Amino acid sequence: MSNNKVTVVDREGATHDLEWEPDQTLMEALRDNDLPVLASCGGTASCATCHVFLEKDVFENLSERSEDELELLVEAEGYQEFGSRLSCQVDFSQNLDGATVTLAPEG
Amino acid sequence: MPEQQIPNEHQQPVVIIGAGHSGVAVAAGLRTRGWRGRILLLDAEKETPYERPPLSKELLKAGAPDESTLLRKEKFFLDKGIERLGGLSVESIDRSGKAVILSDGSRHAYHRLVIATGSRARALTVPGADLPGVLALRTKDDALELKRVLVADARVAIIGAGYIGLEVAAAAAARGCQVTVLEFQDRVMSRVTSAPVSCFFENIHREKGVRFVFGAAVTAIEGVGRAEQVQTADGARFPADVVLAGIGVVPNQEIAEAAGLNCKDGILVDDHGRTSEPEIYAAGDVTRFTSRIDGQSQRLECIQNAMAQADSVAAHITGQTPSEPEIPWFRTVQHGVRLQTAGVRHPDDDIIVRGTPADGKFSVVYLRKGRLSAVDTVGGLSDFRPAKKLIAQAAAIDPALAADPSIPLTGAALQPSY
Ligand SMILES: Cc1cc2nc3c(=O)[nH]c(=O)nc-3n(C[C@H](O)[C@H](O)[C@H](O)COP(=O)(O)OP(=O)(O)OC[C@H]3O[C@@H](n4cnc5c(N)ncnc54)[C@H](O)[C@@H]3O)c2cc1C
Ligand code: FES
Repeated sequence: MSNNKVTVVDREGATHDLEWEPDQTLMEALRDNDLPVLASCGGTASCATCHVFLEKDVFENLSERSEDELELLVEAEGYQEFGSRLSCQVDFSQNLDGATVTLAPEG
Repeated sequence: MPEQQIPNEHQQPVVIIGAGHSGVAVAAGLRTRGWRGRILLLDAEKETPYERPPLSKELLKAGAPDESTLLRKEKFFLDKGIERLGGLSVESIDRSGKAVILSDGSRHAYHRLVIATGSRARALTVPGADLPGVLALRTKDDALELKRVLVADARVAIIGAGYIGLEVAAAAAARGCQVTVLEFQDRVMSRVTSAPVSCFFENIHREKGVRFVFGAAVTAIEGVGRAEQVQTADGARFPADVVLAGIGVVPNQEIAEAAGLNCKDGILVDDHGRTSEPEIYAAGDVTRFTSRIDGQSQRLECIQNAMAQADSVAAHITGQTPSEPEIPWFRTVQHGVRLQTAGVRHPDDDIIVRGTPADGKFSVVYLRKGRLSAVDTVGGLSDFRPAKKLIAQAAAIDPALAADPSIPLTGAALQPSY
């Protein structure tokens, strides 16, 4: 499987192009490419520091959010019903090649 | 990241002792912040650095792979030019020569040194504590050994009802073991939470067949050639095939002490992670520091602290500003039920129970002089993020509103305080 290419919009609005490798979750691709994603729970849907916004059409292709994920997201700043995800819960999929990922505000 | 002028200093070597949560985060943070010099990440363990929380949770489950989540994949260290040297421990620090000396006698020079040696499980000191069958849980090897002996019908005595003891109790019960938890205090997790939460978790454990003995002072482990029973001060004996001691941790500060750094049950560090020696930093479980929230001297044994201190260290070494630290938080999962805590509670905080424990989902709100100091969320996470935010603001809380779970926690804040 080849890497996905994704465009990331950081919290200052700057864009970064990065390679998302098939054995990474989206959180790992962000974190391991120096983007400010703390991921203090190690990807267990507990800390919510990996919150991102996805485009609606991309979002709709993903699996459902778990109850834990949803409870953390609903209370987050800027929550989007059809866009918010914890990036640690988004596994690699070729459908996500070319996606734009926007880092949600902290807190 | 924009190309900046790189100071010459940033080409110098940084040596990090310990590749746990904090050591790995320092290494990664230095690269993110533009450090170009050698980064040497040393650990006594040979393994690719891994997460500890799964050791007492997922890894112990029947059928679960014998692996923990890696802190970073091996490729990450290669890509970032972080040299890892595993399987050798640092024996001493040569301060005047600015080098560390490893167990194979090799020397590695540093420009800056970071001590991230973490902590180890506190050892039982009673007679018989060294018998085979008496275990502790800190490393992946410990977890795998435990997993091997937690077989159906094994009699497991757990000393200490802290979160590690209780997570193991849950895993052992799920594997069909007969579990007895011996605790000196009168309730579970008394150090980290309040009575309503203790009571709730004790009940869950009891429903799953776990026995509790409170007020138990263990005086000896007895057995011929291996642990066979645990004796307590009142003369009671508890037969056991496996004994697990979960009685806290002690900081791995010996090499720092020997090098003359100020230590006092932890290496003393300031807000930047600096020790008493300007070129040496420390981060994570091994440190003791003054809380920004209440000015108390503390050790904090959690990943949030390891990561926040690692960021301060990486920022200070590179001459940059650290990120805003997360509010301390912690999670434990027992019998599939989560307890997640934001903030650090004091035993004399006022408490408000939010929701009904019998529903399996509730929170406990802790107030100090009317302001939010901590929140425990049980069986759900809705209050977790609002709690972190309000604790950061030291928000004043209306107790009546906070007690009503139909109102979001933010709705109980009296006014934002700046
Ligand atoms: C079973 C278990 C479950 C846990 N669950 C949670 C949880 O759910 N949430 C949470 O927040 N925290 C949890 N913790 C605590 C958390 O793991 C620690 O706070 C965290 O690991 C601290 O990171 P650290 O980098 O300071 O130390 P460590 O992760 O302990 O790393 C220190 C490293 O230094 C190495 N080292 C020590 N001395 C030397 C030497 N002289 N030379 C070379 N290497 C050396 C050690 O081998 C070790 O790898 C748990 C801990 C355990 C044991
Ligand atoms: S990494 Fe913590 S919730 Fe995703």
